Amino acid sequence: MRTSDLKISISGIRGIVGQSLTPQLIIKFAEAFSTYIGGGDIAMATDTRPSGEMVKSAVSAGLLSCGASPLDLGILPIPSLQIYTREHRLDGAISVTASHNPVEWNALKLIKRDGRFLYPYEAEELLDFYFQGKFRRVEHPLTIRSDDRGFQPHLRKIKECFDLSAIRRRGFKAVIDPCGGAAAPYVSRFLSELGVDVVEVNTEITGTFPRGPEPLPENLTALSEAVKRSGADIGLAQDADADRLAAVDENGDPIGEEYTLALAVEGWLQHRRRGPVVVNLSTSRILDEVARNSGVDLIRTKVGEINVTRMMARIGAPVGGEGNGGIIISDVHLCRDSFGGMVMLLEHLAKSGAGLSDLKRRLPAYSMIKEKRSVPFRKRKAIFIRLLLKFPKGKRETSDGLRIDYPKFWFHVRPSNTEPVMRIIVESESTETARRVAEEIIEEI
Amino acid sequence: MRGKGGKVKEKVRISVSGIRGRVPDAFHVELVSQFASSFATFLDSGTLALCRDGRPSGHMLEMAAVASAVAAGCDCTCFGVLPTPLLQFLMTRESFSGGMAVSAGHNPLPWNAVILLNEEGRYLETSEGAEVFNIHEAGDFRKAAWRDLGHRNHGAFPMEDYLEALGEIVDVSRIRKARFKVVADPCNGAASSCLERFGEYFDLDLIVLNDHPGRPFPHPPEPNEENATQVEAVVKATAADLGFLLNSDASRISFVTGEGKALSEELTFPLSLLALKGRLHKIVTTTSTSYLADWACQRIGAELIRSKVGQSGVVHAMEEEGAEAGGEGSGSFVLSSFSHGYDALLSLSLLLDLATRSGGLKEIVAPFPTFWRKKLKIDVPPWETYRLMDRLEEAYAEENPDIIDGIRIERDDVWFNIRPSTTEFTLRIIVEGRSEAAVEAAQTEIRERVRI
Repeated sequence: MRTSDLKISISGIRGIVGQSLTPQLIIKFAEAFSTYIGGGDIAMATDTRPSGEMVKSAVSAGLLSCGASPLDLGILPIPSLQIYTREHRLDGAISVTASHNPVEWNALKLIKRDGRFLYPYEAEELLDFYFQGKFRRVEHPLTIRSDDRGFQPHLRKIKECFDLSAIRRRGFKAVIDPCGGAAAPYVSRFLSELGVDVVEVNTEITGTFPRGPEPLPENLTALSEAVKRSGADIGLAQDADADRLAAVDENGDPIGEEYTLALAVEGWLQHRRRGPVVVNLSTSRILDEVARNSGVDLIRTKVGEINVTRMMARIGAPVGGEGNGGIIISDVHLCRDSFGGMVMLLEHLAKSGAGLSDLKRRLPAYSMIKEKRSVPFRKRKAIFIRLLLKFPKGKRETSDGLRIDYPKFWFHVRPSNTEPVMRIIVESESTETARRVAEEIIEEI
Repeated sequence: MRGKGGKVKEKVRISVSGIRGRVPDAFHVELVSQFASSFATFLDSGTLALCRDGRPSGHMLEMAAVASAVAAGCDCTCFGVLPTPLLQFLMTRESFSGGMAVSAGHNPLPWNAVILLNEEGRYLETSEGAEVFNIHEAGDFRKAAWRDLGHRNHGAFPMEDYLEALGEIVDVSRIRKARFKVVADPCNGAASSCLERFGEYFDLDLIVLNDHPGRPFPHPPEPNEENATQVEAVVKATAADLGFLLNSDASRISFVTGEGKALSEELTFPLSLLALKGRLHKIVTTTSTSYLADWACQRIGAELIRSKVGQSGVVHAMEEEGAEAGGEGSGSFVLSSFSHGYDALLSLSLLLDLATRSGGLKEIVAPFPTFWRKKLKIDVPPWETYRLMDRLEEAYAEENPDIIDGIRIERDDVWFNIRPSTTEFTLRIIVEGRSEAAVEAAQTEIRERVRI
């Protein structure tokens, strides 16, 4: 059995430029989207990958073919695109970004009128259109428009949501690292407006990512150095499409994406409206602790932004997110938003008067191991069964792969939606335990 | 392919005359994308020049072509709405590896086409076209890695260079002095935007009708007598010196006299030849073009060679034969020292030049011998064409038919050419003779024989 690096799934279409992701596929996919939503105004934005222009041209052709009017927003963070789509009452949007995947990848992500991703059942309907290849093409295509103020609605929503005076009064110094990605044209000015003295790392757009595009600690050495050198209060790293955020403390130590989410949520719950918190099944137990401290419920969902935001909407949760640094503030928009996340962290620092390392120290220390292994498709089921036999006593959760919770540790093993691999996450208070459990799991795989 | 009652439902034509069809049912972004990938794969690298003729589907199809060419590693320079011959002119002077014109020329809306041009701006030759189509069928497209993708740029057409090049062929000062009053009908096509500057350069008093690219065509975009009613009326009403009609990419032109009488598009080619008297020695035209071409070549003392019908056939025969000019009865003319594409504005400039020397258009065409002509189009489903043409060849075997393109029969008082169109699913028939009776008789005979 073989699998393809091309991934056509409910998350969109994703592949390697020059191999699987051809202009023909992209055109067809845009045609399917335009047919499915019945034309109308559809925004398009890219990150800074060199293939973005090619993909966007193909997307425009496909959208026009089936009666839509494409609106080109240029390079724009994905949360900004989502907010623009809702605020301008567009009919939908296509984001051209493979977010944290390496530079040779690209992808289309599909956004609805409400600025959120398609529900799985909707995406399945669209895929049906795509695979059948029967599109509602028009005789008189519309024209392509463009708008270079794509970031404005996002900025406006953040200003409406937060009282920024505490942050301004504190006069922070921050180092930013947008990885030469979609946030690069915007993030300096954004923080300057918050009265932040900004030091820039990797803000130049070269089309190649100067570091691994995931905001993982090992990718943040340049940021850490710059924080130390400049004596900044905080270092802030975004991924290529600017939905994820990771922070570096004032000593130049990366606090980890899990703590980034935890501290942002803690700040919100302490200084703002309380309410239940929603995170995914792969997110750290630190969040349970943060919720418990504020006396609110913590609810877990399947992995994937749309699953978290759906639950947040259903129960009226003010904040939520994913442990990989995806912070969601429902008053801004139901999407992962690194810009909103920055404001939450800065506000927490300003109002608590503490440093980032202090805030982290007050939270329990957990050790998390994240691994991935490629697994033949047909062997996946067998692996779950073997793991169930190996860890028979823990609390099981099987809605998204397999999560098993023991008092001293938990793990989550699930097939990735974006890469042909199984993702393995293990967390424990003891590094030793986490490592041992991870080894046992990998052995079974 | 077979629709109700044997009518052709799918409407795509694929040849060196372009990949063309009805938008959107048969001709759409996916098809264009595949052919653009094939063409860019064929070219391998370098920069492609692109233009379009202003049809509503043009920008969309161009985006599909650009995305595909860029993905195959070719750069693209897009000139927007621009007559195809102007792009072809540029391609003789600047270095491109090939070109794509998104234009269906004379086809009505909602048709569109992608025309593939080689590095000198010529339509592809049959063998070049075959390579592109082989790549298409094999689906064996070049896929550039992310760092080798092509780039898309916007190009600005050097209109002044073009006008100056025209000025080297014709006597600009005489034309300017004549202060011609001219009625133009670009049929909402690609030439709409450049006619004003053309008029200024030659000091014309130019009245332009139908100059909104993107709007529907006011009449079929084929320059001929039938479509000239509006120009005829405006020429009369404004007492203009002459009028003209263009197809949507300004590769074909037909004229209207100062008396408001439309001339056949067959006259364009001989008129252009006469204007260049003394400068031409070898000319190419097609097996389907009027005797007027023979007559004009005699007048200017040039040899005439016949080729396959269509721009590809003519320009490649010119190259092989070392001919200086070529043209067709469709209102087309090409001058190899200027460019390798049919260019209506070149024909227009030549006619203006001729008019400064020989008086009004009516006077210029007065000495033209009178031939009677009949052009017929008979719809024939593609699956019937083969047997029908075979039958006709047999029927005319004794008369030794010329089979360069379809069959051409020459008799003392009449000749005719019967051939399948490369751009539509029709049989195109042209009959020309020295008397109306001879043409009528031949026409009746052909109709009998073609009946299917």
